[in-house]
Amino acid sequence: MNLQALLPLRFFRWCEATGIGSMIHNSKWAFAVIETLHIMALAVLLGSFLIVDLRLFGVGMKKQTVGEVAHQFGATSWVSFIIMVASGIPMYLTEAVKLSTSSPFFYKMVFLCLALLFHLTVHRRATRADQDGGTALAKLAASLSLACWLAVALAGRAIAYL
Amino acid sequence: MHLATFFQWLNDLPFSVALREDDWPFPIIETFHVLGLGLSVGVIVWIDLRLIGATLRRRPVSEVVSQLEPWAIRGFMVMFASGLLLFLAEPMKCYTTVAFRLKVVMLILSGLNVWFFHAKVYPKVAEWDNSPVLPWQAQIVGYSSIILWFGIIIAGRWTAYF
Repeated sequence: MNLQALLPLRFFRWCEATGIGSMIHNSKWAFAVIETLHIMALAVLLGSFLIVDLRLFGVGMKKQTVGEVAHQFGATSWVSFIIMVASGIPMYLTEAVKLSTSSPFFYKMVFLCLALLFHLTVHRRATRADQDGGTALAKLAASLSLACWLAVALAGRAIAYL
Repeated sequence: MHLATFFQWLNDLPFSVALREDDWPFPIIETFHVLGLGLSVGVIVWIDLRLIGATLRRRPVSEVVSQLEPWAIRGFMVMFASGLLLFLAEPMKCYTTVAFRLKVVMLILSGLNVWFFHAKVYPKVAEWDNSPVLPWQAQIVGYSSIILWFGIIIAGRWTAYF
């Protein structure tokens, strides 16, 4: 499955023709710099999610409640996430046509949507102030979160190879 | 024996040739490397931010270190083991890449930084455990760690590109 099944080729051509896409394409360093930023933000984001999800499993930072851990470590996740999107979009624009036939890219986007969906629903509910770690809901939220974000990272790496 | 001879010998080992020339090992190992990076650097950054006094200011330093450090170490082991294999896949490429040499230097400095923290700074933790702002030695350790790890990520990405 890939994005060309959903959108016309014209759209991907248009993406690549945008100023940003061609600018990065013509620069020797831009893509590497942007990808490095993407990976740095990935590191900080995955680390934060790991800490919150471990707490949901009942492991690590146990002297604080789930809500406190989620608040302290989760609050900055949006910053990392915005950096990831802000660096991801220019990289996408540079090779939109190639990515339109990439099945790992398609699955990365699917898992990204799922990850966000779970984050805003089950995960948000499980990290409310009155919630505890180690419950069925907490374990479900943490498993879904870790599985989806790891799938996003795995599929992302696979784009470069498949 | 000259260092280059040793690297050439590594490069010619059947194991190294197989890692380099087969389709699957390199992408799979690299994926583990990036995930390990996310989990370890993502957790290390939080310890560093506490040392700097940027976040988690109300949590005792000893709590942050004792709860998060085991996960940073686990992530680091994944990263180190996969990194060693990535190196064994391309010893000569690493030998000739300036970015890789810088990466090794920064890794050693980062190790010394951890040693300095545990040998000289952390033993006195009881004196400032609950203080939001830590002594300058602890702050230097935090800043050095963040700068070194981001430098290591940049140099790592550069090793892959050039």
